[in-house]
Amino acid sequence: MEESSDRLNPTADTSGIMPEFDAQTMRSSKPGLKRLFITTTVLFSFLLGLPFLWKSVEIYRSPLPFHDIDSLSDQIESTPLRFPCNYHAVFVGFPSTDPDKLRSDIQDGINQLSHGKSQCGSCSFSISVTVQNPDEHCSETLTIDPTTCSYRCGVIKRNTFGVGLDDAVDESLDDVFSGCSGNSGKMYSVVVVNKENANGEDEVRAVVGKRRHAWIAGKGLEERYGEVVARVSEIFVKVFMNGGREEDSIHGEFMPVGSDGRIVLSFSLLNSNPRDWIYDWDFQRIDEALLAPVTKALAPIANISVESQVLYHTPKSSFSSWDEKLQSYIFRTSDLPFFVNSNEWHLDTSAGASGRSKILQFVVYIPSGKECPLHLQLPNGEISKTNGFISPMWGGVIVWNPGNCDKDSESPSRDTISHQDLEQIVKVFLGQFRQLFGFKSEAFYTSGLGTYKILPSERGFTEWELDVLSRKHTCFNLHSCSTTLGSLSRLVQSLPRMIIKDEIGEQVKYSLKAAKLAQSNASLGGYSSSASSSREARSLAENAFFHPSIMSVSYFSYEHCFAVYSPFFLPVAGHVVLAALREWKRYRQEKAKYLTWLTRKKTA
Amino acid sequence: IFFLKMKILLLVMLLCYSFAFSSGDTTIHTNNWAVLVCTSRFWFNYRHMANTLSLYRTVKRLGIPDERIILMLADDMACNARNEYPAQVFNNENHKLNLYGDNVEVDYRGYEVTVENFLRVLTGRHENAVPRSKRLLSDEGSHILLYMTGHGGDEFLKFQDAEELQSHDLADAVKQMKEKRRFKELMIMVDTCQAATLFNQLQSPGVLAIGSSLKGENSYSHHLDSDVSALYYFMNGMYITIGVSVVDRFTYYTLAFFERLDIYDNASLNRSYDPRQLMSTAYYRTDLYQPHLAEVPVTNFFGSVMETIHTDSAYEAFSSRISNSKINADMPLDQHPEHDLKENLQNANNPNDDLKNEKQKCPYTQMRADLQEKLEKLENVDTMVNLSIAVMVLVVIVSSSLL
Repeated sequence: MEESSDRLNPTADTSGIMPEFDAQTMRSSKPGLKRLFITTTVLFSFLLGLPFLWKSVEIYRSPLPFHDIDSLSDQIESTPLRFPCNYHAVFVGFPSTDPDKLRSDIQDGINQLSHGKSQCGSCSFSISVTVQNPDEHCSETLTIDPTTCSYRCGVIKRNTFGVGLDDAVDESLDDVFSGCSGNSGKMYSVVVVNKENANGEDEVRAVVGKRRHAWIAGKGLEERYGEVVARVSEIFVKVFMNGGREEDSIHGEFMPVGSDGRIVLSFSLLNSNPRDWIYDWDFQRIDEALLAPVTKALAPIANISVESQVLYHTPKSSFSSWDEKLQSYIFRTSDLPFFVNSNEWHLDTSAGASGRSKILQFVVYIPSGKECPLHLQLPNGEISKTNGFISPMWGGVIVWNPGNCDKDSESPSRDTISHQDLEQIVKVFLGQFRQLFGFKSEAFYTSGLGTYKILPSERGFTEWELDVLSRKHTCFNLHSCSTTLGSLSRLVQSLPRMIIKDEIGEQVKYSLKAAKLAQSNASLGGYSSSASSSREARSLAENAFFHPSIMSVSYFSYEHCFAVYSPFFLPVAGHVVLAALREWKRYRQEKAKYLTWLTRKKTA
Repeated sequence: IFFLKMKILLLVMLLCYSFAFSSGDTTIHTNNWAVLVCTSRFWFNYRHMANTLSLYRTVKRLGIPDERIILMLADDMACNARNEYPAQVFNNENHKLNLYGDNVEVDYRGYEVTVENFLRVLTGRHENAVPRSKRLLSDEGSHILLYMTGHGGDEFLKFQDAEELQSHDLADAVKQMKEKRRFKELMIMVDTCQAATLFNQLQSPGVLAIGSSLKGENSYSHHLDSDVSALYYFMNGMYITIGVSVVDRFTYYTLAFFERLDIYDNASLNRSYDPRQLMSTAYYRTDLYQPHLAEVPVTNFFGSVMETIHTDSAYEAFSSRISNSKINADMPLDQHPEHDLKENLQNANNPNDDLKNEKQKCPYTQMRADLQEKLEKLENVDTMVNLSIAVMVLVVIVSSSLL
C-alpha cells in the first residue's frame, strides 16, 4: 500500500534556496486520518460486541438461596424441635391433697424420667392438676393459660367410675374432655380415681384410652401417694410423649415413608402349590371397610395407596420339619431370614409406585399340601399365635393354614378365604403395620411399676399414637430436608459451570418455605399440619437434589467454550487487530515525516 | 503451656472420635445390592460378558434377588452370528455351565450401557419415567457390590469403544452417593488392565476396592476355547479355528472361591490371590474400609440379608365389621372434620392446591365421574346391557314398521 506523496515540482519553487526534499523521510502534506479511522472503527465495533458475546455464552444458573439453606440447617442442628403439650391430671376422691404439691411432684417425676434431655420431637409441657374431694369440691392449680378448658367439678363420680367395659368408660371420659384442645398443643389427661369400696377387685387398674386420656382406678390410693405420682408421670412421659417405644431416638429404619411422601401397601396372596388348593380373597371389601380408616388416619404422615395381587406357584426357600408332638410342620425363627424366596416371588410388580415411593410388601402365604399345617416355633418352644413376622422397611409375612389340610386327590379345590379368617388376617396385618412404624403390635405397655392396658382403635392407631408419629416424622423430615438441601448447595457451589434450571431453584424455594411453615406450626402445637408441611419440604428437597439435569458429565468447561468459538473469531480478530496496529504505526511514521519537512522548511 | 496444649489436643481428638462414632455405624445392614457392568461389546470381548454373567449367577445363587441386581451388558454374545452354540454363553471350555439360562434379567442392554447411564444409576438421578427395575433403590443400610470389567487403562475405563469413565468421575459419583446415604458399605471389584488406578481418587469412607492389576500391569485371560469361535481359515488343506478367551484370570479365581459356598456359609472375605497364577498383582484398597477383612463375612456383600422381627400378637381393633362395612366406616370419618377445624392454622399456599381445586370444578368430568359411579354400583351389568339391547331392537322394529 504504497502511497505516492506529493512531489513538489522543483521548477515551481521560486524561493532562492531549495530545501533538500527526501521522499523517504519527508512529506509535504499532513497525513490523513481516514485510514486510521476506518480500521479503528472496525476494531472498536468488535470490542463493543464482546460483552454481548459473553452474555450469550453465559451458563444459566438459577440463583439458589445458599444463605437461607445454611441458616436452616444451623437452626435444625442447634435447637431440637419441641412441641407444646398440655398435661392435665385429675385426682378424684382424694380428701386432703394439695394440687400444687402434686403438680411439683409430677413435674419432678417427669423430669427424672426424661433425664432432662430434650430431643427433637419431645414435648415442652405445662402441667395442671385438679383435685376433687369426696364431697365434690375441687381445688386446682393456677393455670397460666386461661383459655384451656377446665374440668367441671363433679362430673366424674368416684363410685360409679370404672363400672362396665373399658370402651364405655373411654367414651364417657371423652365426653368430659372433648372440649379441650387448646390453642397451644393438645391436652393429655390422666384421671386417678380413689375408690371407696372396690367390689372384690383389689389391684390397681391402669388403662390408656383411644383418644388422649388415661385412667388409673383402685382402692386406697391415697396411702400410696408416691406410687401414684410415679405412675402418672410414667403415663405422661413413656406413653403419651414417647408412644410406648423403648428408645426415643429417631431411627430411620422405622420410618417407612418414601422420599416423595408416599407409601404403597402391596398385598399378595401366595398360593405356593396351586395343584393342591387355590385360594382367593375378597380384597375389595376389606379395603373399603377396614383399610380405608387406617389410610385416612395416616394422611398427614404419608399418602398411602393400596394394591393387591394373587400369585401362584410360589414356594418358600427355607425348610420345615414335621413335629410329632405338635402334629404340624415347624419352621423356626432362625429360618425366617431365608423364608422370602425373592427369586420365585415376583412381588414388586407395582405399576403405580414411582421411583421414590416406598413399597411395603404384605404377603399372605398359603403352604402347599406337603407342609400343611405350617407353624412358627419361637425360641422358647412356644408356637406363635400370629404365625407372622416383619422385616423393617420391607414389609411382613403371615402364614395362613387352610382349615382342612386333606386335599382332594382329583382336581384342586378353589375357595375363597372366609370373612372371619380374612378379618383375623387383617388384625395381624395391623399389628405388623404398627410394628413397621415402631410401635408394638400388642395392646399392653409394661414397666417396672405395672402394666398399662392400651385400648385398640379401629383406625390402627390411637390419637395419641398418631400425635407421636406426627412429632417424630416432622423431626425426621426436617432433618432430612436440611441435609439434602445442604448437600445440594455444596454440590452446586463446587461445580461453577453447571447449568441450574429454574425448576430446581423453585423447588428449593418452596422447600424452604414449607420447612419454615412446619417449624412455626410445630411451635404453635399443630402436630398433623406440621407433619404434612415437613413431608412436603422433604419431598421438594429430594426432587431438587435428584433432578436429572444435575449430571457432572454434561456441563460446559472453559476449554469446551474456547474450542467452539475460537475458529470463528480468532482469525478475523487477528487480522483486524493487526490492521489497526499497522495503520497506527504508519500514521505515526507519516506524521514524523511531515514534521521533519516542516522543520526543514523553517530552518531553510 | 505444654499441658494446656496437650489438653486441647486430647479434647480435639476426643471430639473427632465421638464425631466419627456418632456419624457412622448406628445404621443396621438391611439389604444387599449388586451392580454388575460389562463395558465392552463385540465378539472378541466374549470373556468380559462371560465374567459378568458368571458373577451374576454367583450373586443370585447366594441369595440376592433380581430386583436388587442391576445388570448392564452389551448382550451381543448369545445370539451373535459367530456363536457356535446359539443362546448359550460359557465361562469354561468344558461347557458344563450355561450362563445364559432362562433366568437372566438384563436391565441395561446394548447401547444403553453408557457412562451417563452408569453414573445415573449410581447417583440416582433418573428421568421420571425410568421404571423401578432400572433404578438403584438402595437405602442407608444397604451394602452394594459394584463389579466392572472390560478394557481399562491409567485412571480410565473404556465404555463400549466410544467413551471413557474417568477415575475422578467415579470418585465424584461415590462421594455423592455417600452424601445422600445411598449405601452403608460399597465393594468395588474391577477386572481390567491397570485396574488399581481407577481407585486413585476415591475418598469416601466405607468403600472397599479390589482391582485385578496394578498400574502398568495387564490383566490376562485365563484360557481359550477353540470351540466357541466360528472363525475358520483354511491353511495347508486344513480348517483351523481361532478360539476366543472365555474368562479372565481374576474372575476365574474369584469364582472358584465362590462355587464352594452356599447361602448358609460363613466364610470371610479375606481372599488372597496368587500373583503367579494371575500373572498380575491383585490390589486391595482397604484404607477407607474400617472393619478388618478377615472378620468380614462373605454374606456381607454376596448373600441375602433380612432382619426379621416376630409379630407377637394381632391388633384386636374390631369385631365382625365386614358385614356392616358401609355403616361403620362412616363413624370414624366423622371425627375428622372437627379434628381439622380445631387447628386454626395457616396452610401452605402451594401451587399444587390451586390445580387440584380447578380440576374438581370442571362439570363435564364431574358428570362422567358420577355416571361411572352409578354404573359401578349396578350389580348385574350384563343383564342390564342385554335388556337395553333388546329395547333398542324393539324400537328399531317399531320405527321401521311405522315408516
